[in-house]
Amino acid sequence: MSIVNYGKGLAVVFSAAMLFACSSTGDNESTEVIDPNAGTEVVDPIVEPVGKSDEELAAEANEATRQARIVFFDLDDDTVSFEGRSLLEAHAFFLSKPENSGTMIVVEGHCDERGTPAYNLALGERRAKAVAQILMLNGVSASQIKTISHGEEKPADFGHDESAWSQNRRGVLVYEG
Amino acid sequence: MLRKRLRYSIFLFLFCASWANAEIEIVITSGMDNARPVAVLPFTWKGAGAPAEDSASVIAADLRRSGRFNPMARHQLVQQVDKYTDINLEVWREKGIEAVVVGIIEQQPDGRLKVSYELVDIFRKKQEMRNGEMVEVDRNRIDNYSAMVEAKNLRFHAHRIADRVYEKLTGERGAFATRIAYVSVNRKKVKPFGLMIADSDGYAPQTLFTSSEAIMSPAWSPDAQKLAYVSFENGRSEVYVQDIYRTNSRKRVAAFEGINSAPAFSPDGRKLSLTLSRDGNPEIYILDLTSRRFSRITRSINSIETEASWTPDGHSLLFTSDRGRGPQIYQQNLASTRAKRITWEGNYNASASMTPDGKSMVLINRSNGIFNVAVQDTETKTLQTLTKTSLDESPSLAPNGSMVIYATVFRGRQVLSVVSTDGRFKARLPSREGEVKAPVWSPFLN
Repeated sequence: MSIVNYGKGLAVVFSAAMLFACSSTGDNESTEVIDPNAGTEVVDPIVEPVGKSDEELAAEANEATRQARIVFFDLDDDTVSFEGRSLLEAHAFFLSKPENSGTMIVVEGHCDERGTPAYNLALGERRAKAVAQILMLNGVSASQIKTISHGEEKPADFGHDESAWSQNRRGVLVYEG
Repeated sequence: MLRKRLRYSIFLFLFCASWANAEIEIVITSGMDNARPVAVLPFTWKGAGAPAEDSASVIAADLRRSGRFNPMARHQLVQQVDKYTDINLEVWREKGIEAVVVGIIEQQPDGRLKVSYELVDIFRKKQEMRNGEMVEVDRNRIDNYSAMVEAKNLRFHAHRIADRVYEKLTGERGAFATRIAYVSVNRKKVKPFGLMIADSDGYAPQTLFTSSEAIMSPAWSPDAQKLAYVSFENGRSEVYVQDIYRTNSRKRVAAFEGINSAPAFSPDGRKLSLTLSRDGNPEIYILDLTSRRFSRITRSINSIETEASWTPDGHSLLFTSDRGRGPQIYQQNLASTRAKRITWEGNYNASASMTPDGKSMVLINRSNGIFNVAVQDTETKTLQTLTKTSLDESPSLAPNGSMVIYATVFRGRQVLSVVSTDGRFKARLPSREGEVKAPVWSPFLN
């Protein structure tokens, strides 16, 4: 997969990275007193990130994207949404690199509480497999992926309303090791 | 007066003690207008101290919980006697009471209890020949018996008496002296999930297995000695069979790649139907428990096939399949390879099981996004919704087919509820702590 193809994911990635950056600078502000450059005049450099290739940038962006590991589903459905697909492509981008061929991933499929537990266990498996399928279509080897269904037994949100249910109909990527 | 007050406080104490012992309590949410008025008189206790259980109130509660009877409140009872011969039929007739239960419990030197009971039909008359003439005579005592009971079994024995009363008055076998199995979830505990059994009224809960991971789908063996269930203790669904009365008797019977779920014993107890996705797709299999061989029943392309239950004759399976868009119930004769769809109302029908008489089946139906327990007539295929709750699952029939126990959500908690198969009587059995789900009614116990 080329970086260009991958562009649409990057926009999301950068905004996520920005949020991340903002919150961390916020924390550091109080330590500014021991700035060794205090008093010296600093000319703003024309920022040309030193020594970082496009590929490295993409890798960084990819890493930021991969902080997210959950895709969501509609009721009774195992179709991965557009957003979910971009996220899975980002994970696949990483997992399919030759140096990561030993990285194993477990795909968990989950359902909301509605419907019968046994049917939901099977639906959860269908969701996990739909996620695995996208990873494989994007170059991840089948031997790197395991799928497990938890059905409705492991909700992320214990509520009994639509906001809880939408959080619970999910596929979760768990990196092993 | 003092004695009366003392007796009252003893009663109160006993009441509280038994309250603390029951994990789930019953709240009747919808009664029946035509429940028959009956009276269960307090059983006379002949022994040291006070009896450990108030048998009469256990019997009365059972009868009330069936939805068919409306036992008279204790303070309204017009007579306090313990023998048929002492019953004044007239005063009960005036109150419109149809039947009266009386009894005596006598403590034996060895500590066992002799329980005697009589059931009196207040209005029954019979024509008999007397001196060559047909006359109407009272033949009111319609049942009586006495039995020796271990003191610790006294309460459960009261359910047996309730079963006799129920059968004599309705013609249908009672199912009070039965148990339920269910899963408890208490997230405050280190091992939040518990596989439980309790008496049919929720009393005397016992833990069979606890786990830090989910437990699903308990199923009774027909001899009520074993439970099959799904446990996630190894990180994914696997099927186990456990002997209830023997320790260290757990056996893992299915742990293939993919899901291992939805176990159900055949009526003869020799086979277990279950769902496995080891061949890629969730399909129904039958495990022969003697030969340990699996045979595959369904062969779908990419649909979900699950939740098999056996018809009472053991000849076919009902199961849930979404081969035709959305889950529906199918029936397949085991001698055949073809299944036929049997539900058509609503876009979601699942968890079906047939009543013992084969005349109908209970299932979960979704209409307008609401999940309810429903019953479908086998012949006419008419579907009737039984409940007004909205997140129902795991319906399980009492062995006499009169009631369905199921899991639902009430005020943000998962609770157990019962509904009569005709939908007219409803009660809730909330758990005092945590949540309860996956209830399943035992077969008749012998």
